[in-house]
Amino acid sequence: MPDSTSSPPAVTVENLTKVFKSGLGKQAFVAVRDLSLTVQKGEVYGLIGPNGSGKSTTMKAILGLLSPTVGKTTIFGKSSTEVESRRDVGFLPENPYFYKHLSGLETLLFYGRLCSMSGRDLQDKAREMLALTGLEDAANRRVAGFSKGMLQRLGLAQALLHEPRLIILDEPTAGVDPAGSRKIRDLIMGFKERGITVLVTSHLLEQIQEVCDRVGIMAHGRMVREGKLDDLIAVENETELILADASPDLLAEIRTLAESKGAKWIRSGHSRTTLERLFLESTEEPKS
Amino acid sequence: MNSNSFSPARIWTLAAATVTQLVRMKIMAFLVVFCVIVVAAGFAFPVMNPEQQLKLLKDVSFGALQIFSVVIAIVSTALLLPRDLEDRTLYTILSKPVPRYEYLLGKLIGVLLLIGAGLVLMDIAFSAVLWLRQSLVLVQSVAALKQEGVATPEAIAQLNEFVGKQGLTWNIHLGVLAIFLKASVIAALSLMISCFASSTLFTVVISLLVTIIGHGQGLIREYFFSEGMNQIIKKLGSAMLAILTPDLGVFDVLDNVINGEIVSAFSAGVMIGTAALYVTGYVLVSHLLFVEKEL
Repeated sequence: MPDSTSSPPAVTVENLTKVFKSGLGKQAFVAVRDLSLTVQKGEVYGLIGPNGSGKSTTMKAILGLLSPTVGKTTIFGKSSTEVESRRDVGFLPENPYFYKHLSGLETLLFYGRLCSMSGRDLQDKAREMLALTGLEDAANRRVAGFSKGMLQRLGLAQALLHEPRLIILDEPTAGVDPAGSRKIRDLIMGFKERGITVLVTSHLLEQIQEVCDRVGIMAHGRMVREGKLDDLIAVENETELILADASPDLLAEIRTLAESKGAKWIRSGHSRTTLERLFLESTEEPKS
Repeated sequence: MNSNSFSPARIWTLAAATVTQLVRMKIMAFLVVFCVIVVAAGFAFPVMNPEQQLKLLKDVSFGALQIFSVVIAIVSTALLLPRDLEDRTLYTILSKPVPRYEYLLGKLIGVLLLIGAGLVLMDIAFSAVLWLRQSLVLVQSVAALKQEGVATPEAIAQLNEFVGKQGLTWNIHLGVLAIFLKASVIAALSLMISCFASSTLFTVVISLLVTIIGHGQGLIREYFFSEGMNQIIKKLGSAMLAILTPDLGVFDVLDNVINGEIVSAFSAGVMIGTAALYVTGYVLVSHLLFVEKEL
């Protein structure tokens, strides 16, 4: 459960504005305008928006990769400009690339050492992360030969390696097949259960809907909607009723009753599965 | 400053990864080419007189060492930072608790380690061939003296002294040290340029240009700032030239080494001090540029 008491929030963004200067004679580009948001500890926060809406710029500002033109960002109360603020953060960029000359295991050892990990602990943790992301077989393969999905999983493994309290995922399912995508979704659900804070951007809105506690919608560098997911997507004057094994007679009776009480019957019919669920059910190997 | 903000272990991790990256790019294949050049230069011209043979061997070998070190210093340094940025590897590295100056130091130390290791290996190969050639030249010259019937003890001692001076001495290693110091300055300069350059090609071209100007800084000063010129303009021009380009002429002791002249401890000290100043200066400016860089 999100913790909004005493200790500082996992992430704060206060009145962030980011302007990119252009060359001579060209107009400066405003990527983010007066953006404010807060991510509480233990919360899964989804930042969504069309391409160029400023999501990645916001994430980079939170990680200290970009300096705000106006405003400030913090991680667990520490300013993003401080290197120490990144001690508790794991970051998976969109379409990550790693040193092609290193193997999967060497890559994780490299990132582990950057987080001051060493020795047997690091070796064990790196192998655990490879297992968690399904890359055990690729431990000794050069990253140059990894597929897009494998790179994404390796990116996730390096983000989780030092057991961060905050995980920032930029389009974590980009280029990943539906099974891999589901696996990443399950991992996010697992983080949530373990109290790890997650800030995620994705174009796959269904996935955001499945995992996020709160959502912010960005457009043209501004936050246009923000709030608890249930509050945002609920249609105030409509009610959903799902029945199993209901006979046509029973449905007719319910409809008559509803209309006699002044309610408007909008739609009834069979519930539908999602294309993703259908794909997974059809392609999963039967368990022996 | 927080005690956790400087970590030699992290710098070493980045330096080691840089060395591995460059080694796996097969950059050290140059070593094999170098060995072939040295052996060929050592034994290709047996008809020359002993002095010419040894001088030619030193000349060709030092030339190859210089090319190796300058090319690696410029190209590998120019490749590293822009490639990390293009591949977005930089994002994953700098989103860890890694200060930007540690990243820069790690990259530079990695390149310097590679150049240093390469120069040590080439120095060993060069020294071995020079020693063999020197021994062979001595035996041949003594045999020639005997054949001519002038192999007096004085003549042989003179020959020994002469060949010893032109052969393998500590001066040779001081020459290699000068090459390394010059390469260190050029690598630091390339790193600084890559912090603001828009592409690898730009970094390579500008670094090469500055390196060429740096070699002729003395001549440029002499040519443009003649005696008749106003002292203030002369001083300002010299200062501008010194700021924009390193004076690489300080490291040019190779002609002395090839001619068998001794490089004094003072000259070696001046080279080390100058290199340290340039490298420190360029790293500081690189940090100031890189810390403000938008990623």
